[in-house]
Amino acid sequence: MTPLRLASRTVRRYRAQTVLAIVGVAVIGALLFDMLLLSRGLLLSFSSLLGRAGFDIRIVGGGGMTLRVPIEQSATLVEAVRVLPEIERVGAIRVQTGVVTARGGRRQSVSLIGATDAAEGAWTLMSGADLDSPGAAALPCPLLVGRPLAARLGVEPGATVQLAVQPSGTASAIPPVECRIVGIAQFAFGAASDDTVATTLASFHRASGEAAVGDADLIVAASAPGAGPVRAVEAIQRIRPGLHVFSNDDVVEQFNRNGFAYFRQISFVLSSLTMVFAFLLVATLLTVSVNQRLGEIAALRAIGIRRVSIAAMLLWESALLVGAGGVLALPLGEALASVLDRILRQMPGLPEQLHFFVFEPRALVVHVVVFALTAFAAAAYPVWLATRLPIAATLRREVVG
Amino acid sequence: MCLRLSCVLLMLSTPAAVLAAEPAPVLLSRQLAARAHVHVGDVVTLGVDPQGTRKASFRVAGIYEPTPDPMRFTSPRLEARMHLPDLLDLAAKPSDVSARDSLTGINIRLADPGEVRAFAGDLGSRVPGLVARATNAPRDEDPFAVLERFHLAISAVTMTAGTAFLLALMVIRAEERRETVGVLRLVGVSRRTLLLSVAIEGVLIAALGALFGIALAFATEGLVNRIFQARYDTALIFVRVTPSIALRAIAVAAPLGVIAGIGASWTLLRRSILSMVGR
Repeated sequence: MTPLRLASRTVRRYRAQTVLAIVGVAVIGALLFDMLLLSRGLLLSFSSLLGRAGFDIRIVGGGGMTLRVPIEQSATLVEAVRVLPEIERVGAIRVQTGVVTARGGRRQSVSLIGATDAAEGAWTLMSGADLDSPGAAALPCPLLVGRPLAARLGVEPGATVQLAVQPSGTASAIPPVECRIVGIAQFAFGAASDDTVATTLASFHRASGEAAVGDADLIVAASAPGAGPVRAVEAIQRIRPGLHVFSNDDVVEQFNRNGFAYFRQISFVLSSLTMVFAFLLVATLLTVSVNQRLGEIAALRAIGIRRVSIAAMLLWESALLVGAGGVLALPLGEALASVLDRILRQMPGLPEQLHFFVFEPRALVVHVVVFALTAFAAAAYPVWLATRLPIAATLRREVVG
Repeated sequence: MCLRLSCVLLMLSTPAAVLAAEPAPVLLSRQLAARAHVHVGDVVTLGVDPQGTRKASFRVAGIYEPTPDPMRFTSPRLEARMHLPDLLDLAAKPSDVSARDSLTGINIRLADPGEVRAFAGDLGSRVPGLVARATNAPRDEDPFAVLERFHLAISAVTMTAGTAFLLALMVIRAEERRETVGVLRLVGVSRRTLLLSVAIEGVLIAALGALFGIALAFATEGLVNRIFQARYDTALIFVRVTPSIALRAIAVAAPLGVIAGIGASWTLLRRSILSMVGR
C-alpha cells in the first residue's frame, strides 16, 4: 500500500470534508489566479491597444502623454521626421472639442479628431466607408462617428450633420460646418459612452475657422523594420532636442508608474493575502483531520508503516486537496475574472477595449508554483504531529476513550 | 537657488502687498520643499520654462501639506501657491493681450448646494464652452464607486471560500462528537435542543472570530496606512475601519457561522441513534 493509495483512500472516505476543502481551495485559488492576471493585465491590454495602431513612436507637446499641448511648428517637424531613414511612416493628429447637431435638432458634445496618415489601427470601421475612401475624399467634411454616438444622434452613413468646433478655454462664435457621415467606427481608445468623431486634417482646419493651419497635438510614427523604436526616438530627438518623444514602451512604462499603480498594488496585496489564507485554511483542515485520525495513524505505525510513509501520505493528502482545488480554480478563475473585469470596466472614460484581466502563461506558472508551495507548507505541521505521536499511548487512549 | 516649475500653479485669492525690492511670498508643498532643500525664509527663483525665459524671485513664506488627492496619489505633489497677480506677472505671455484675463478655474460655493446642476446648466448656457462641474462626482461617474463594487465582489469571493472551509471544519467537529451526541440522544435530549446548542456555539465562535478579525484590522490599519503613505509620500488615508464596516463584518460572519454549524450537525443528527453510538 503506497502512501498515495493510503491518501486517496482517506480523501474518499471523508467525502464531505474533502469536497468542501476542494471547493474552498478552488474559490480561493480562483481569486489568487485573478490577482495574478490583474497584476499585469492592464499593462498587457494597454500595450496591445497601442501596438494595434501600427505606430510605435509618439511625439507630444509639453505636459507629457496626458496633458495635450500643441507641438510647435508641427508641420515642419512631420516633414523632417518623414525623411529619416529610421522612420517608415508618420501621421499627425489634432484633437478639439466640438458640438455635433443632427437633423431633428439632437445635439451632442464630441471629441473631434483630425487625422491624416495616422488613422490605421486607431479605429475599426463597422459600417460605411473610411475617411480615405474615394467617396469620402471628394467631400469637404467627411466624418467617422463612434457607434454609441451614432445611436444617440440617430444617424447612419450618408446622414448630414452640423459640426461646430469649440476650442476649450476660449469663447468661440465659429459657425458650424456641414459634414457628411461616411462611416461608423469603433475607436481603439473609445470609451463605452464614446463621443469621438474623426475627420481629415484638412476638414479639421476648415471647421476650426483658423487663419493658418494649427499645430498637431500628437504626431505618431512607425519605425522602420531594421531600425526599431529606440534608434528612431534618438533620430527624432537629434532633429529637435528637448522634444517629448516616447516609444510605446516608454508610454506603457509611464502609465504603469502612475496610472496603473493602484491595480498593481491591490493585486500584490490580495495575492499575498489569498496565499496566506489558503495556507492557513489547508493547514488548519489537515491538522484537525490528523487529530481526528490519531488512532488510525497510530495503528498504521503499529503494523509497521514507517514515519516516512506516514509523512508522505499526509503530503499526498495535502497535494490531492490543493491540487484538485488548484485545477478547478482555473476555469472558476476565468469566470470570476470576466465578472470582475466587467465591474472595473464601468469606470468612466475608460477605453471600451481595455481589459484588466488578461491571461499570460506567466500567471499560470506562478499559480502552479504558489499552490505547490502552499500544499507543501500546509502539510508541515500535521506531518510533524503525525510522525512524533507516541504509538502505544495513542492506541491506549483510543481504546479507553 | 533656481527652481523649475512644470505644473500649473494654484493661486491665492487676495492680492499681495509686496514692496518693489522685497520678493513676493510663495508657499511650497512639503514634497517640493524637501526635494529642493528649501526652508521658510529662503528666496527662490521660479520660472515658467527650463530656459528661465520668464522668471521671478519669491520668498518662501511657508511650507504646506497638500490636500491628499486619491486620483493623483502616485504623482509627486510638487506644487507652489502664490498670489494671483504674482502668477500673472510671471506666467502671462507679453504678446498675448488676453493672458491677464485668463484663468484656469474658479471655485464657487453656492448658497444652496442643492442647486449645483441648475447653476451649472445656467452658466453653461450663458457662456458657451464653459465647463461647470460639481466637486462631488455623481455616483455613476465616480471611479471610486466602481472600486467599491470591485472590493465588495472580492469580499464576497473570500467569504465564500471561508464558508466552505468553515463548513468542512464543522463537519469534522461534528464527526468527532458523534458518540457524545449519540449518548445525549439516548438519554433523551431532543434534536431541537442539540441544534440550538450548536447554533449558539456557532454564533459565539463566529462572533468571536469576527471580533478577532476586526481587532486585527484595527491593529494593522495604522501599519498599512504608514507603509503606503511612506511609499507614495502622501497624507492620504488608504485603509479606515469604521464602526459601520465592523458591524457589517459581524452581521455577515455570525449567520454564516450558525449556518455552517447547523448544516454540519444536521447531517449527523439525521442518523439513527444506534449508528451514532457505534452499534
